[in-house]
Amino acid sequence: MSARRVARAGRGFDGVSLALHQGLFAACAEEMGITLTRTAHSPNIKERLDHSCAVFDARGALVAQAAHIPVHLGSLPLAVEAALALGPFQPGDTVILNDPYAGGTHLPDVTLVSPVFLGGRAAERGGSARGSREPSPGWGRSGAARRGRAPEFFVASRAHHADIGGGAPGSMPLAREIYEEGLRIPPVFLQRGGRTEPGVLALLLANVRTPAERRADLAAQQGAQATGARRLVEYARRGSLALAARGARGRGAGAAELVRAAHALMDHAERVVRAELAGLPRGRWRFEDALDDDGLGSGPVRIAVTLALGGGKVRLDFSGSSPQVPGPVNTVEPVTRAACAYALRCVLGGDWPVNAGAFRPLEIVAPAGTVLNARPPAAVSAGNVETSQRIVDVVLGAFARALPGRIPAASAGTMNNLLVGGRDPRSGEPFAYYETLGGGHGAGPGWDGASAMQVHMTNTRNTPIEALEHAYPLRVLETRVSRGGRARSAGRREPGAGRGGNGRFRGGDGIVRSLELLTAARVTLITERRARGPYGLAGGEPGGRGENRVRASAGARSSRALPAKVQADLPAGAVVTIVSPGGGGFGKPPRRAGRQAGRAPARVRRRG
Amino acid sequence: MSGKRGASARVPRRAAVRRVARPAAGRAARVPRSPATAIGVDTGGTFTDFVSLSGGRLVALKLPSTGRAPERAVLDGLARLGTVATTRVRHGSTVATNTLLERKGARVTLATTAGFEDLLEIGRQDRPELYALAPRRVEPLVPSARRVGVRERLGPDCAVLRTLTSAEAKRAALAVARTRPQAVAVGFLHAYADPRHERRLGRALASLGVPVTLSSSLCPELREYERFATTVTNAYLMPRIAGYLGGLARGTPARLEIVLSHGGTAPPALAAREPVRQLLSGPAAGLAAAWQVARACGFARALTLDVGGTSTDCAYVAGALPRRRARELAGFPLLLPVLDVHTVGAGGGSIAWVDAGGLLHVGPGSAGADPGPACYGHGGPATVTDALVVLGRIPGELLAGSGLALDRAAAERSLAGLARALGRRDAVEVAEGVLAVADARMEAALRRVSVEQAHDPRGAALVAFGGAGGLHACALAEALGATAVLFPVHAGVLSALGALAGGSRRERSRSVLTDAREGAALERAWGALERGVRSDFRPAERRGLTLERWAEVRYSGQSHEVPLSGGPGLVERFHREHERRYGFSDPARAVEVVTLEVRGASPDAWDLVARLRAAATRIAGPGPGRVRVRANGRWLAARVWPRAALTRTAIVRGPAVVADAGATLWVAPGWSARVHASGTLLLTRRGAG
Repeated sequence: MSARRVARAGRGFDGVSLALHQGLFAACAEEMGITLTRTAHSPNIKERLDHSCAVFDARGALVAQAAHIPVHLGSLPLAVEAALALGPFQPGDTVILNDPYAGGTHLPDVTLVSPVFLGGRAAERGGSARGSREPSPGWGRSGAARRGRAPEFFVASRAHHADIGGGAPGSMPLAREIYEEGLRIPPVFLQRGGRTEPGVLALLLANVRTPAERRADLAAQQGAQATGARRLVEYARRGSLALAARGARGRGAGAAELVRAAHALMDHAERVVRAELAGLPRGRWRFEDALDDDGLGSGPVRIAVTLALGGGKVRLDFSGSSPQVPGPVNTVEPVTRAACAYALRCVLGGDWPVNAGAFRPLEIVAPAGTVLNARPPAAVSAGNVETSQRIVDVVLGAFARALPGRIPAASAGTMNNLLVGGRDPRSGEPFAYYETLGGGHGAGPGWDGASAMQVHMTNTRNTPIEALEHAYPLRVLETRVSRGGRARSAGRREPGAGRGGNGRFRGGDGIVRSLELLTAARVTLITERRARGPYGLAGGEPGGRGENRVRASAGARSSRALPAKVQADLPAGAVVTIVSPGGGGFGKPPRRAGRQAGRAPARVRRRG
Repeated sequence: MSGKRGASARVPRRAAVRRVARPAAGRAARVPRSPATAIGVDTGGTFTDFVSLSGGRLVALKLPSTGRAPERAVLDGLARLGTVATTRVRHGSTVATNTLLERKGARVTLATTAGFEDLLEIGRQDRPELYALAPRRVEPLVPSARRVGVRERLGPDCAVLRTLTSAEAKRAALAVARTRPQAVAVGFLHAYADPRHERRLGRALASLGVPVTLSSSLCPELREYERFATTVTNAYLMPRIAGYLGGLARGTPARLEIVLSHGGTAPPALAAREPVRQLLSGPAAGLAAAWQVARACGFARALTLDVGGTSTDCAYVAGALPRRRARELAGFPLLLPVLDVHTVGAGGGSIAWVDAGGLLHVGPGSAGADPGPACYGHGGPATVTDALVVLGRIPGELLAGSGLALDRAAAERSLAGLARALGRRDAVEVAEGVLAVADARMEAALRRVSVEQAHDPRGAALVAFGGAGGLHACALAEALGATAVLFPVHAGVLSALGALAGGSRRERSRSVLTDAREGAALERAWGALERGVRSDFRPAERRGLTLERWAEVRYSGQSHEVPLSGGPGLVERFHREHERRYGFSDPARAVEVVTLEVRGASPDAWDLVARLRAAATRIAGPGPGRVRVRANGRWLAARVWPRAALTRTAIVRGPAVVADAGATLWVAPGWSARVHASGTLLLTRRGAG
């Protein structure tokens, strides 16, 4: 903070009433998320918190968001934009969509968007200054009087559903076209005037593997939508929060004040971000990196960015990146946006409010037809989980050139997706298991990277081993932090698989995890950084690459390597071992290996 | 959970006041000669609070805590209050909490299944902050060099995949010994279902002569990381807590009981074996006391609001005290049932600041006890307390009488600085803004525990305590539609009162992962838990025990459970409850019981309600003073009442300030307060009943 800086909050709002309004909008989004978490059914939403909820203005500009997963940050507005095309709306409408080519990200992420009608003066007359009156059941005022009127706000919720049909349980196959990845839902009404459209729901449920669970999770999302709408209507009735009007609470500037406040908050976030940007140097910096491959034989897949700073703006231009590829590592624009927004938020210190204003200074150029803005019908399921990580790596890499000494080296750069499906011999029922694995974080100027932790675009928790072994025909043979020695590759010595890169500060170590299949099963791996380790910075060495291996049995001596992306049918007893990548090192390693910073035992160092 | 009850963090405003005030001097006169029948003690980082019942009266005593040897303050207070062998002393302490937060526990070695030594470090693999370039997790209490892998392996359903041989047990014990531990934790995969391997190693470790904690006896529940971490934390606390409680027991003739995180008590020997169960005893005792206060005033539902220096605790209670099965404390998981208290980082010491975009923030940073808020006169920042001082809500005259000169000018200067940053002129107006923002954060916290959990706060009572709870209560009650505000006797030491009120309690649980139709198996498991709980009570306490059976139930394959009371028709009741909570049920699907629990309570819980009523006689003190207070954008003349001056028949009409020892109450315009028969101040809004 700066006490010297005198900033007018603007649009008739002072810093206090602005703070109060910000609290209200944030609470609305958070309460939607809590409703969703509390009433959802599947572990993905309930335990792993793979969802987010947000409030938008009438034109689809983000007002407030409660996101637990960075990959949703900044991507939801495009869903609202896509839904807006279905207007005019009436109270109680809800639009559903998951089409990556119409506001979605990848098919398992299902988004609901609902208009909110505050009811203008009518609500103020009926409202109570004390907030003690029964709130309306939701959606704002209904009835003929409201028809044809534009909504003041929208609320949206996005949740990762465990299965949305398609070629493999979990809806993340190694596909060539989006049609293989699952049911594609363009923006359509799931609910009209408060009533669910039975045909839409029936069509959806007929195309997924676990319809009861989907219906329950969708109901939870609908509940979250209703909660958000109800809360906004209540706020409008509360009356003015303006400092000048304190003591006159309930006289009611209501709906109009709420709308103005939303815009004043966007202006505020823009001011905060521009103030942060003012401290950055002017110039252009380029950085590029690559994905190992697309899983279908094409690769490496280049991702390049030019960062331009100056004039209170950030421009990220991805021209020069690879054209879209046959495999599913393509991304759609919302995912690219989310990754950029995430990286920017980290660079700028991360504590500013997330709304449309904050992203006004951010310009993204992602040419259509590239891997960063694919055209239909390209497959995109892995773009969301893997390519998004690499986008963060290149954006942070470019910032590292602009701001040497502030940005850490690359982190693991992959979610290490593992899917196992088959038939459980104990019950005879089919099963589908999905997990992601953390890795090493990049070392930074002044710190070693953290080990064995989720990086960047995801932060989902692992499944407890005891629960996993109880529920699936799988046995975990080891889960440990990678502590291997060093390796030699193409004549160069490099860190062993999963080890953090050496440097003045050491990259974090990855995870080693071995799973024994207790029955024959189809195993899908979607992983990255198997060909090249995450980059180091300022003379630090790259992190150790990840590795996927399989051996015939727990006792087998020899094992063989598996590709970074693979779908394989393995027999009972086979053991799959995944080593997630280590983080890059930072700064030149001191000459005497034994005396440098880092936590590795000295004898390992000397071997290096 | 914040460090609210931690040493450095505890209630800065009160802290400084007390440090100078030497409250014992003023109160010693009231300490009776007749011996106390029961005493509640609550040790905090700064003060040790006592509430004593003797000769039919409640007496409060506050002594400075004695840092490294906290038992000295406790023993000193007990002696002053006239403790004899028949006195029951119920003690809640933050000694365990501070030991953990300050990382001053024992050198622990963990013995665990080979191949999984790093689980303690990997945890659930999530990072604590989403948008940090350098995310950090809490360093595990046991470094990798002191994690010993043991060659053994159990599978689900009690399958032994690799037997722990006696040779391996011996080897492992030697390896553990070589790490020179002060305490040992043992955690094996699937040991919740089958404790035999852990016990075998436990026997091999006995010769080391250091305390050993087995995960299968501390918290035999599913989820290995949380169970191992809880076990390690227990081992980490054992030596220190055993020493502390031993010193207490030797130093007083009284019958000592220790308050645990479920709000009930256990004897010192048991508490010393499982110190991890004390970590959240303070908030639990406060919540339990607040609920009794609400019941005494005839309310069936209550919101509780405990505002301290750095944070605010709140909860919603209707009927039974809210519980949860696990939580985290400063990054350390606790796989134990605790009372469900929600904490936000907004308290009296929360710092007010303006960001680069011109928006006012309150918290999460806190001025702490040093330098403290600006009004302490030590160059501290503008805080919520300073705003309250500028608005006249904290009357300096009374506090001045206790020896501390509040620096009003410094408070005003700090807010004037804030006003400049906001582009405004008036410090008073900005003080109102700071208060409004702080209130909004507390309101959000209260909504989180009520509205957002589908509980309706309208018509409930808001019980306000802690040093500053009473200063925010009226505004929050209005915002939430609560009918009444309750300001208990000894609102500043309610945790001590809660310790006094708690009854003897033991609980045991075990994960069973059994089909819910297997009635006989469940019956056997419940029976075993009941026998265990019964034997945890002293023989004299076993008569009249109430034992409750509970089960955590889910659809097979789900990852979250629904708590149900034990008894017939478990499966049917589960389908119904699932339908009620989630809007659907699936009668064709298998239902699984994950964990069984037995909660035992001895009938010796004090009826605080009756005690409060009996103790509520008040003596007339000095009359009211007057002060100018800012409210609703205007300056008003308000009366300042010393709490002791309020008689049964008194009615205090807002605007008014009631000053009690260590706690202040603001009666807003439109509200009036009267003394309830139980001694609690009952505030209602005029015209609102």
